[in-house]
Amino acid sequence: MIRTALASRPVRAGAALTAAAGIALLAGCAPTASDAEEPATPDTGATESTDTGATGSDAGAGSYADGTYTADGSYATPESVETITVTVTLEDDLITAVEVTGDPQKRESEQYQGQFIGGIADVVVGQDIDDIQVSRVAGSSLTSGGFNEAIETIKSEAAS
Amino acid sequence: MTGAAPAPWRFDAIGTTWEIVTEHPLPAEGRDEVMSRIDAFDRSWSRFRADSDVSALARDGGSIPAPADAAPMLEALAALSGATGGAVNPLVGGSLEALGYDAAYSLRERVPVAAPADWRERLTWRDGRLALSAPATIDVGAVGKGRLVDLVLDGLARTETGDMVVDAGGDLAVRGRPQRIGLEHPFDPRRAIGVWEVTDAALCASAVNRRAWPSATGATMLHHVLDARTGAPVRTMAATWAVAPDAMTADAIATALFFDGGPRLAHEWGVEWVRMTTDGRVEWSPGCRADLFVRADSVER
Repeated sequence: MIRTALASRPVRAGAALTAAAGIALLAGCAPTASDAEEPATPDTGATESTDTGATGSDAGAGSYADGTYTADGSYATPESVETITVTVTLEDDLITAVEVTGDPQKRESEQYQGQFIGGIADVVVGQDIDDIQVSRVAGSSLTSGGFNEAIETIKSEAAS
Repeated sequence: MTGAAPAPWRFDAIGTTWEIVTEHPLPAEGRDEVMSRIDAFDRSWSRFRADSDVSALARDGGSIPAPADAAPMLEALAALSGATGGAVNPLVGGSLEALGYDAAYSLRERVPVAAPADWRERLTWRDGRLALSAPATIDVGAVGKGRLVDLVLDGLARTETGDMVVDAGGDLAVRGRPQRIGLEHPFDPRRAIGVWEVTDAALCASAVNRRAWPSATGATMLHHVLDARTGAPVRTMAATWAVAPDAMTADAIATALFFDGGPRLAHEWGVEWVRMTTDGRVEWSPGCRADLFVRADSVER
């Protein structure tokens, strides 16, 4: 769950800080991590970081002072909101170290992506139920009677 | 296979639509028996009817002769509670009522209340007695419908032969011929996120899209799957599906999967599952046999 993938290679600062911020939104999913790595082609990043370099329009690619940046983030697990701290060390606009420390509120969270889960997909295509020849459908329980009437009442009150 | 497909028998009970398919049309006595079985269960466990056992305990507390199914259901709920760190709680009825999901279906949100964390001290079932040290609303929603599907299927199996399906609005048990079950997309009921072929087993689903109503401010929707520790609806999980030999087990895991401890409990009980988060991600159990419509390049193992 807690990824330190960024630490393995130099990353342009703008992208990396965006990525660090992105960790706040990280819901345990791959795309956040891969998005973060995508703009990390290190050579262009390195040359761009001349002092006069980055223009305002190049979002996220501004120059940053060398040093260590720390940000707190949080992400939601199915059960709770976990907090993490991301520390990024910058030298010449290059990330030289990323440290992610977590403070899972529950032990289970560490195993959230672990041995009990067989796979994760970030993109569900979905198919039209009429096209897949199923004998029945399961999702939320169908509602009937009192619940449906109550919802109708609320809708009509809201409309009046 | 020749001949017309058997006609399904449809009816409404315990707040949902049932469909029962048998090889031969059910005779009137068979239907009566199903209805009286459902009614007996409802009279014990429904918090939506004033004459039920749980309504009596909610008013007065105290001790009553334990209804049939008390031990298996409450033991399953205790396991769920333990596995989810207390997110599942058999005394969550009061929390549901506070959100408006009450016997009158007021659907009027008040302030969320957590269920009593010390429910094990308050609620006991032993020596044939079901007892509450103080009035509280028992809610067996996490396992009850599955249990009832099992009871109805077992009852039918005594007189009926051949293939059978008991489907209580999406929680279902299958005997005989395989059934292809579409996994309804929680955000678009016209679509499925996958298909699961089920043979001689039960599939139970839970999702937040139908039993949902507006919050007091109208800004958000409330639904019936609560975290008992806060009394608020779970916001991270949109839908779950579980396949197990019996429907009560599948129902229990479908609820547990709304929380972190669910996958571990499913592993311990040997239950296959699929779940979808509210941000659209889909996860499944190791070795899950469901056929999921996911993009291959988005899969991580």
